[in-house]
Amino acid sequence: MKQLTDLVTPFATIAADKQLAGDDLAWLKKLRLQALDQFNRAGLPAKKQEDWKYTSLWALSQQDFIHQANPSDISAAQCDQVALLQDSYRVVIIDGVYSAEHSQLTGLQTGLTISPLSSGLDQVQSYIGQQVDIEKAGLNALNTLLMNEGVVITVDSDTQVLTPIEILVINTGSTNNLAIHLRNIIVLADHSQLTVIEHYIGLAESTSFTNVVSEVVLKENAELNHYKLQQESSNATHIATLAAKQAANSLWRSSNISLGAKLARNDVHTQLLGEQAHVVMDGLYLADSEQHVDFHTRIDHAVPNTSSEELFKGVLNDNSHAVFNGKVIVHKHAQKTDANQQNHNLLLSRGCEIDSKPEMEIYADDVKCAHGSTVGQINEDQLFFLRARGLDEASARNLLTHAFAVDVLDRIPAEQIRNAFSKVIEQHLPHGGS
Amino acid sequence: MLEIKNLHASIDGKEILRGINLTVNAGEVHAIMGPNGSGKSTLSNIIAGRDGYDITQGEVIYKGDNLLDMPAEVRAQRGVFLAFQYPVEIPGVSNIYLLKAALNAVRKYQGLDDLDAIDFLTLVRSKLELVQMDEQFLHRGVNEGFSGGEKKRNEILQMALLEPSLAILDETDSGLDIDALKVVSEGVNALRSPERSIVMITHYQRLLDYIVPDYVHVLSNGQIVKSGDKELAKELEAKGYSWIHDTAEGQPI
Repeated sequence: MKQLTDLVTPFATIAADKQLAGDDLAWLKKLRLQALDQFNRAGLPAKKQEDWKYTSLWALSQQDFIHQANPSDISAAQCDQVALLQDSYRVVIIDGVYSAEHSQLTGLQTGLTISPLSSGLDQVQSYIGQQVDIEKAGLNALNTLLMNEGVVITVDSDTQVLTPIEILVINTGSTNNLAIHLRNIIVLADHSQLTVIEHYIGLAESTSFTNVVSEVVLKENAELNHYKLQQESSNATHIATLAAKQAANSLWRSSNISLGAKLARNDVHTQLLGEQAHVVMDGLYLADSEQHVDFHTRIDHAVPNTSSEELFKGVLNDNSHAVFNGKVIVHKHAQKTDANQQNHNLLLSRGCEIDSKPEMEIYADDVKCAHGSTVGQINEDQLFFLRARGLDEASARNLLTHAFAVDVLDRIPAEQIRNAFSKVIEQHLPHGGS
Repeated sequence: MLEIKNLHASIDGKEILRGINLTVNAGEVHAIMGPNGSGKSTLSNIIAGRDGYDITQGEVIYKGDNLLDMPAEVRAQRGVFLAFQYPVEIPGVSNIYLLKAALNAVRKYQGLDDLDAIDFLTLVRSKLELVQMDEQFLHRGVNEGFSGGEKKRNEILQMALLEPSLAILDETDSGLDIDALKVVSEGVNALRSPERSIVMITHYQRLLDYIVPDYVHVLSNGQIVKSGDKELAKELEAKGYSWIHDTAEGQPI
């Protein structure tokens, strides 16, 4: 039987054998060697690490992954069908490879650039690895070692981009055991505004491993609406790190919706580094059968007068297992911090499990911080009320579950996106009926 | 319309109803009065189909069928309506969605197609007028942040839209100020018809000044201990429930 650390070898071989994007860049080569060294030392995270107490990568460590997909394509119609939005810029990555054919990047607004990582690496030296620490998490090191595709988006100062960008990552399922390592870089200059949706979707029930790192830089007064929808196949492992640094007066709205994958782990982190920086960090996880979903969030209030609002909701059914660990750190001089964190869970079965752990570390003395965590079931009074109005039990449960879930979406300002998410959630809910 | 025969019911082994007998014919309005703990709400919950009660004896016949065998939603689809004493708030479900889903459930049972959006809205607007509710209430979560009076008006709005055959009004007057009471009563009175029966459950005689019943029953300790016309309610108001206990304890009529 393989040990966790054995995993290093095949990945290292791949790094040596495979022609990785940006191989001609000396700085990148150096970075990759550092990452390899780090991954050799740390390996995959193990359950003895506090941050991985409830999530095991043992099964992942036992799989042999392929890093080169069989050639595979989908039709434009299929692509439209799985996309969340129709009227948007679209960057399409199929089985880990950028698809120029399916991407819609014509008529880009002045001040906006969108390029695939594979051809944009030379522009991002100053950003790669700035938001994530490869020293800390083995998976980030692995991503740094093997990152081969992704999207680089920059917005110039004073540019308001009104058309949303959908990063559509499709796993066709035609290559079993496919591993893809993506790196997205999003940089917003002063007074700029952008909406991005990261959308991961599996089309067939293959085993796969997606390891994505998204790095976000928000300069002063920048505003980013950053949504994520994860609908990978039921045999997929989806691991994502989403990390931001926010300058003064910047606003990052992050909504992270996790529906698919057998195992999904999301680390969401922001550092509020300038006064009046504000973050809305929301999430929704719906899990059933044997699904495992883990959200680890961290918000660093590093300077005075910053604020954060965090709302994560979960609906669990069957034997699913969810983990929410939300850390808010108010640093020593971060007076007048205003932080609110909420995690609410609805359990629909006896076999499911939630481990909810709010953590607030407060080192300043003049702050307003609140947190709450609840676990509950369908409210019997509400259920009876709906049945007494003629709704059958399955429909009534479905309606109440949907109602519980969708208020996370209320904080998404764009109606078009809110409705698209609401529809996806409705289709996904565990109970039948309409 | 409704026939309750020797109904006994208990919760967790504690007997709440101890042999209720009541016949309500089409077009009649009955008031059931009684002190706290007499079993009034239990009776209305059992008719509407709430789980958690053990029916130990007796039966409830509605339009010739055994009501107690039907799930709550089937009762509603067949025309039984309960106006709740404490209407529950359901954030995330809009009022208009509820109204539409409820109406379509009833229509489906009747073999009718769903109303289209325009016909539905026209219908709802006419009912809103009846209970003097603003259209903005349609787009709020069901009862979410509504005042006590607004919640009760919302119940009558649902009743007006669903046009039930049998409406049970459970303490619809509780928590209402005099103006709201008038609006709610006018709404109910407008729904009186020869095909519709109404059972009002109330603690106070006040409501009966506005919705005048054909029959008044006094429920005490799980039994109907006295029946009469609207004069009975006035007598009760004047003399208090203790009068019933003193004169009729244990002697159902």
